[in-house]
Amino acid sequence: MNPYLDGLRGIQPEIVMTITALAALVFDLVLKGRESRRVGYLTLTGLALTSWFLLGQWSEAAPRTVFGMVAIDQFGNFFKLFTVAALAMVVLFVMHDHREREHGVGEYYFLLLGASLGIFFMVSTNNLLLMVLGFELLSLASYSLAGFHKGDRKSAEAAMKYVIFGGLATGIMLYGISLLYGLTGTIDLAKMGTSTGGLVTQLAQSPVPVGIAMVLILAGFAYKVSVAPFHFWTPDVYEGAPTPVTTFLAVGSKAAGFGVMLRFLGAIFLRPGVADSVAAYGDRIGLLLAILAAITMTLGNFAALRQSSLKRMLAYSSIAHAGYVLIGVSCMTEAGFSAALYYLAAYYFMNLGAFGFLLYFEGVNGNDSVDSLKGMGFKAPLISIVMVAFLVSLTGLPPTVGFYGKYLLFVEGVSQGLYWLVVVAALNSVVSLFYYLRVAKALFLSKPADREAEPAPVLTGFVTAFGVATVVLGIYITPLRAWAERSLDVLRG
Amino acid sequence: MGLGAYIAVSAALFALGIVAILVRRNVLYVLMGIEMILNAANINFVAFDRFNQSASGGGGLEGRMFAIFVIILAAAEAAVALAIVLNVFHLFNSVKPSEADLLRE
Repeated sequence: MNPYLDGLRGIQPEIVMTITALAALVFDLVLKGRESRRVGYLTLTGLALTSWFLLGQWSEAAPRTVFGMVAIDQFGNFFKLFTVAALAMVVLFVMHDHREREHGVGEYYFLLLGASLGIFFMVSTNNLLLMVLGFELLSLASYSLAGFHKGDRKSAEAAMKYVIFGGLATGIMLYGISLLYGLTGTIDLAKMGTSTGGLVTQLAQSPVPVGIAMVLILAGFAYKVSVAPFHFWTPDVYEGAPTPVTTFLAVGSKAAGFGVMLRFLGAIFLRPGVADSVAAYGDRIGLLLAILAAITMTLGNFAALRQSSLKRMLAYSSIAHAGYVLIGVSCMTEAGFSAALYYLAAYYFMNLGAFGFLLYFEGVNGNDSVDSLKGMGFKAPLISIVMVAFLVSLTGLPPTVGFYGKYLLFVEGVSQGLYWLVVVAALNSVVSLFYYLRVAKALFLSKPADREAEPAPVLTGFVTAFGVATVVLGIYITPLRAWAERSLDVLRG
Repeated sequence: MGLGAYIAVSAALFALGIVAILVRRNVLYVLMGIEMILNAANINFVAFDRFNQSASGGGGLEGRMFAIFVIILAAAEAAVALAIVLNVFHLFNSVKPSEADLLRE
């Protein structure tokens, strides 16, 4: 077969998404900014087509590379399907957000699709250049999205803080990549760690330069997933950005950051045929990540205790969850990576649901404080009961998907000898119980509120579906687990 | 000139960029600091590319390619960042991050 046509067939999902993004932009121009909900429907159609092509790549036997850069494999497929699913929910949130209805603008969808296209490329390549370009496409679109409400001072401030931190992190990461390129003579991750690769000779001379390059690159990834000490932007940006954008940053962008981190570490240190000295070096990087994981989850959970705004609380909780996922990464084993993927999938259900609840009550109360939720559980019973399921799952208690995710992470941590880390994580889960329960307490253990909650049937319906999934997938665990395991084909061949 | 000289220049530029970001209170200087860091990476890319080629006797153009793309990235990032800063200036009448402080504990 013609290799060029074969390559085009490989990137069908990306092509469809690009066309959708451009079509959304043009359609909005044609509509002249009125009835932007129709642009939302167009976007959802495009996303459905994209996922259809992604599912077409589901059964492809072996990983392959097209155009010398884009890797078509199940690992990328996992994160692409994840992104499409997250984006579809975010689009629904935009269509049902009271503030977005007032703004009524279609560029929103264009920027969201552009950010997702960045994710598509950054998670499906072993080539550092394409990885950086995808990373930047995601970042630039996210900066604009965070400041989307131009007249809103909080939104503007959030965008400025995001762009400063993001620019700094990208710069540091690029400097690290330039050093790694100099040390190994290649920008192809798969060629670095093999017995003939540049890392072996460099490590034989001195581990320090490689260490500097690795730390600088990981700093860039740490910023994207908001791991300490690069988490400072997270609470401010999450609070100031429009809630649908916050959802996208907390779920889609964070998962993409982990996707890049896992592929980077996996491609260099965990592939078959990696030299022994390189693999041993990988374990030392794992130890560094384990320490960062402990710091991150502790910082996130203790800061979340003090928050009066639900949105800011969820921001700190998302920092803590980045710490939990990092346990799986720091194991530097296939089982650890698969536990991290499982936890990300679990995080998708419980966190998207929690943000849907937040969006609904922002519409009802006009603000996002926990106090304003007092007694509202009796006025909007369904969504509030479902929220309790999300809170239980975020804490990591059975019978929810979050429990099994944490169980997998802890088991792999113990089997790799990271006892101290598992103890820290378990204690952290107890701490997190306090602030998650505060929301449930405000909802149900106060006097019924004297205000009425305006019903939002579509939003409530989707959030309820996520609640059902959170519980059902916590009992019937095989499908997500099997998906996470088969997605690690990149580590096998 | 040897490779060491280029790396020394780029490391100095990187350090100056970090210092500019940490010390200056004005967003525009912070953005300049970011540009300096990106250019430090560019010097590395081009220098390493040249010396890798003379070491291996020809080969890829990966480093130079990377540098060109980083220049484009820097331009795109500056455009987005300046638009955001302009909006902040309209709303707060200041380009100092310390004076835009609605978001905090």
